[in-house]
Amino acid sequence: MSGRRSRSRQSSGTSRISEDQINDLIIKLQQLLPELRDSRRSDKVSAARVLQETCNYIRNLHREVDDLSERLSELLANTDTAQAALIRSLLTQ
Amino acid sequence: MASSDKTTNTDIPKKDVFALHFLQSLSNLKAQNPLDSPDKANVCVKKIKLAAYVSMARSAGGTSRLWSRALLRRAAKGNNKIPRRKKKVTWHRKRRSNRRAPVVEEAAERLRNLVPGGGAMETSKLMEETAHYIKCLSMQVKVMQCIVNGLSTK
Repeated sequence: MSGRRSRSRQSSGTSRISEDQINDLIIKLQQLLPELRDSRRSDKVSAARVLQETCNYIRNLHREVDDLSERLSELLANTDTAQAALIRSLLTQ
Repeated sequence: MASSDKTTNTDIPKKDVFALHFLQSLSNLKAQNPLDSPDKANVCVKKIKLAAYVSMARSAGGTSRLWSRALLRRAAKGNNKIPRRKKKVTWHRKRRSNRRAPVVEEAAERLRNLVPGGGAMETSKLMEETAHYIKCLSMQVKVMQCIVNGLSTK
């Protein structure tokens, strides 16, 4: 419901996002990327580059989820519930 | 409901929350039907993958985020593919794209295809949701790595 509300507000044009806000968001994103996180503040990374690296990073993470799902599937097939329960108790501590 | 409206808050819950949700999904899967029939290995991987994304969306606060809402809706439909964007949105975006550098819009376009529900997001919203999505996704990967490590070095 809130999504609909915000969408109508966007189209009315009253909430034009300023470039500053976009820049803040770009910096926020940049700090999340292993590739760009450590770059100095002085050498500014372009917005396009940040978005590009963001895409790459998300793709990598998706691939990791794929691989890990595969490994988990193998492991769970060979593991009895007792072990799984043990893991569960370890992880929830 | 109003919480996600104005803020650019991209904080996420702790790792335990993700681990708990994922393990719950996994044990539900196991209870539903055993994962150990070898001929269904592919199906099993798909189910685990779906469990990973769905539990991640739940950990992230269910429907309080645009991306998690889109992901849960997609999962509920039993459809793993990224839905096609609506035409109306394309028009909306084209109009906007004149104001920003084309390279940025081009990259944002690619991002829209990767973030669940991204197709319907305005660029600044897209970036905010992406930041949150990335955090959750990397947390989910960590949790899965933990479980895989735990299970393989028994």
